This record gives sequence, C-alpha cells and structure tokens, in this order.
Amino acid sequence: MADVGDTLAEQQYQLTRADLVRYAGASGDVNPIHWSDRVAAAAGLPGVIAHGMLTMALVGRLLTEWAGDPGALVEYRARFSHPVVVPDDDDGVTLSVAGVVTEVRDDGLVGVDLTVTVGAEKVLTQARAVVRPPVAR
Amino acid sequence: MAVDPSLAGRVYPPQPYEVSREKIREFADAIGDADPLYRDPKAAKERGYLNVIAPPTFAMLPVLRGFDQLVAELGVTYAQVIHVNQRFVHARPIRAGDQLLTTTTLESVRSAAGNVLLGIRCEIAAESGEPVCEATATLLVRPADAPDG
Repeated sequence: MADVGDTLAEQQYQLTRADLVRYAGASGDVNPIHWSDRVAAAAGLPGVIAHGMLTMALVGRLLTEWAGDPGALVEYRARFSHPVVVPDDDDGVTLSVAGVVTEVRDDGLVGVDLTVTVGAEKVLTQARAVVRPPVAR
Repeated sequence: MAVDPSLAGRVYPPQPYEVSREKIREFADAIGDADPLYRDPKAAKERGYLNVIAPPTFAMLPVLRGFDQLVAELGVTYAQVIHVNQRFVHARPIRAGDQLLTTTTLESVRSAAGNVLLGIRCEIAAESGEPVCEATATLLVRPADAPDG
C-alpha cells in the first residue's frame, strides 16, 4: 500500500538531438520545431525543443516503474510550462523527475504529483497521475 | 487569424489506427523504456495481458491522427502549433493487435494575445466500441504571418 507522502525516487533523464529525431520517427510527430534550428527560431523559441510528449513519456517511465505495471497508470496529465531546449552537442539536456503521493482514495487509487525540472526551471506544471498502487513493496 | 470560432463543437470522422508489436517496440526504444511487457508477448501474458501492451503515452499516436484532421481543416501547419497541455484517462492499456478508432472533437476555439487556443478531445475505442482512452489537449496556434523572432 502507498501512503500520502511516499516519494518516487528522483530520476535523471538525458536527452540529445538524436533522441528527438528518434522520437519524431517513432511517434510520427515531425513538427520541425523539434529538429530545425531555423524553424524553432522563426517560432520565437530559444532553440530546438524536445517534444512535450517525450518529456511526458520519460515521466511516465518513473510512474510505471514505481507502480510495477504500465497498465496501472489510470490518468496522467501535464502542462508544458517551459520549453525544454536541447542543444546540438553530445550532452544535450538533463531532466530531473521526482514524485510524491498526495492522495490515497477509498478505491485504492493513488494520486501522485510530479516535479519535472531542467536546472532550476520547472518544465512541466500541473503534472499529476492517478495510479493503482504498487503491490508487495 | 484564420481559425473560425464557429468550428467549436465540430466532430471529425473516426480515424483508424492499427497497433503493431513492432511500433510499440520502436516507441518503447525511443523513450528508453526496456520494460519486457512492451516487447515480449510471453511476459505480457504472464502478467494477464492478451498481448504486448504499449507505454501509456503511446496513446498520442492515434491522437495525432485526429490532430492531423483538425490541423488540415483549419489550414495551419504544425510549425505554428505549440502543445500547451495533455491529459489521458486510460480505460485499459493499448495492446498489439488493437484496431483503434479515434473520434476527435474540437471542443473550444478562443483567442489569446493574437494566438488561438484549441481545446481538443479524442475518444479512442477498440473496434468493438470498448473505450480504451480519452485524451484531452490544448494546442496554441500562432498566426502564419507572424514576423520571424
């Protein structure tokens, strides 16, 4: 059983331009702001940015690993509050993801609030999931 | 801005999406998730699933088919589009072999500081009509003729 205040151990995820290209192909989201500096600049962005859905997918990994079953994720939402700029170098950018249980419902479902940052900047806000709690942990 | 507010409420024809094991594996690789439930039918069956299942945000693939319809009709390009927020409510995991049908509704159209905010809801169902996932999103559309920078 999970309790309010339980934490999901913080994880770091590194993203490079190569990861964006691979995600564009795998997801079918070929919006050029995720691979073209020229188009990103024309859109007023500080550089090529990661797909919001790629950030959400990485946070999803923390959630499904914690729950022990990808099918345990019932509800998942986020607001893409700040663009994740991915420089064209070998290191790219590092996302830090952490979670805390904020609610345990009568039906056993668990609410988790997520904190997703690059440096000091929150790149997702209102990031929240409803999960069937991990068993035997 | 060319988006017509009277389009709010428009429901687009259901779009098919056939889920393959290979696409699930490719997607799981792209998000760096090594979970065997995304790759190995035997592992999935041992956990009570009928076939390999997809990561939760895989639902975005059928949803994009719906976005494509809407973006085409509105006459905008994706380079003008910023994803503002996204929410999924999963009735069950998407699995290999699913013949999904996604019905997209343009729920709201409103102006904000020279841009247009679109509220979109996609209902993803199995061929049988069984609900699989409800996805809601807000997209921001910038004007096409905005000066660079």
